[in-house]
Amino acid sequence: MPQFDPSSFPSQFFWLAITIVALYFVMTRMAIPRLANVLEQRQKLIDDDLEQAEKLKAETEAAIAAYEAALAEARAKAHEEIKAVTEAAAKVAEAKNAEVIERVAKQIKDGENRIAKSRDEALSHVREVAVSVATDMVTKLVGLSLDDAKVGDAVTASMKD
Amino acid sequence: MRISVELVVTVAVGTALGYGIDSWLGTMPIFLIVFLLFGGAAGVMNAYRVVKGLDESVGLGGAVARKENAEGKKDRG
Amino acid sequence: MAEELVPALEESVFDLHPPMHQFEVRSIVPIEIGGVDVSFTNSALLMCIAVGLAGLFFWFATAHRSVVPGRLQSVAELMYEFIANMIRDNVGTAGMKYFPYIFTLFVFVFVGNMLGMLPYSFTFTSHIAVTAALAVVIFITVTIIGFARHGTHYFGMFFPHGAPLLTAPLLIPIELISYLSRPFSLSVRLFANMTVGHIMLKVLAGFVILMGVAGVVPFAVVLGITVLEFFIAALQAYVFTILTCIYLNDAINMH
Repeated sequence: MPQFDPSSFPSQFFWLAITIVALYFVMTRMAIPRLANVLEQRQKLIDDDLEQAEKLKAETEAAIAAYEAALAEARAKAHEEIKAVTEAAAKVAEAKNAEVIERVAKQIKDGENRIAKSRDEALSHVREVAVSVATDMVTKLVGLSLDDAKVGDAVTASMKD
Repeated sequence: MRISVELVVTVAVGTALGYGIDSWLGTMPIFLIVFLLFGGAAGVMNAYRVVKGLDESVGLGGAVARKENAEGKKDRG
Repeated sequence: MAEELVPALEESVFDLHPPMHQFEVRSIVPIEIGGVDVSFTNSALLMCIAVGLAGLFFWFATAHRSVVPGRLQSVAELMYEFIANMIRDNVGTAGMKYFPYIFTLFVFVFVGNMLGMLPYSFTFTSHIAVTAALAVVIFITVTIIGFARHGTHYFGMFFPHGAPLLTAPLLIPIELISYLSRPFSLSVRLFANMTVGHIMLKVLAGFVILMGVAGVVPFAVVLGITVLEFFIAALQAYVFTILTCIYLNDAINMH
């Protein structure tokens, strides 16, 4: 086997040493830094993107939270307003109700008063009417002209019965 | 192929080591024979590692433990 | 008639293309330094081509350095991440400072294996001198790292915690030999895989020519094995690198 021919060994060692050292320099000066650079850049880009995505996500979440808070607030406010409006309406209605009731009561009372007054009036006229009727009747029937005062006394006396 | 390489190489290294010690101490062939046997044992050990798929770190016991550990992890996983 | 021809043909085919011929190191530019022959050979040429090709590949692949990678850039990034993950998984983050060395090693072996698959080229990773030199350098470096990090405690690695003290005279030499045989098994594995694969391809390709029309069968086999060899070429580069990582892990983390 030519591999075991020692005469070729020194040359192989020599050139192996030279070439592998050369390769080492090629790798450390050129290939490795460049590749490391590319990979690092990509990693950085990915990290940046991830970071940005994270940031955007956080922003979105914040926006959602703010929206929800606003919604809750609006809902609470609306609720309150509805309550206030309802209360006010109820109050107004109650007041109106009370007013109407009062007015009606007053009208009823006025009516009653008026009726009472009319009745009193009517009742007070009854005597006059009775007097004049009695006077007229006596005059027509008997042909006498009576003294109003006497008739009045007689009416009063009969009315008392 | 790998097993035969391991066996041949370790026996050769053991023998060479024994031969070296013998020529140094002038005790030919005591160490030559002893180290031939050691070489054989080492060869068998390394062949065993290859067959069992153990790692090639120094220390057979450690290699066995590590493999069992790795397999245990796999079983659990 | 045909049977008479076969031995003659066989001889001529394997004479013209002997299976071992592809492994021959031939001098291109003879150089001698201090009485040592360091000629520029076909092996050296292929090593230079590997370096040049790897350099060009990474140059063009990373020329734009775009965030969304093109095809070449994806491949280059894939290799980078592949080795980075390999180190992270097998050694941990402490191993990342050795990334340039391991990456260089992987690229060298990988491109060397792949270049060897081209017809008429030469596979420098099929030479034990090359693989052994790499493995020995890795072994020594890893051992030095181990001692630099753990001092003499690094020896403690050879004796497992909790084992009975009586077994120490037995366990320590075995673990020590196992440890010392690492560079050999590392280099022999790569060398043997590349050599055997190429011999097999060559012999089978010889049969294709030998068998004439019936050569379709070995041709199909050659085709299949070529695909397999590409796979093995990549796999062995991977194995060589991952074993380096495992050795490095021992030195850094010391179980």
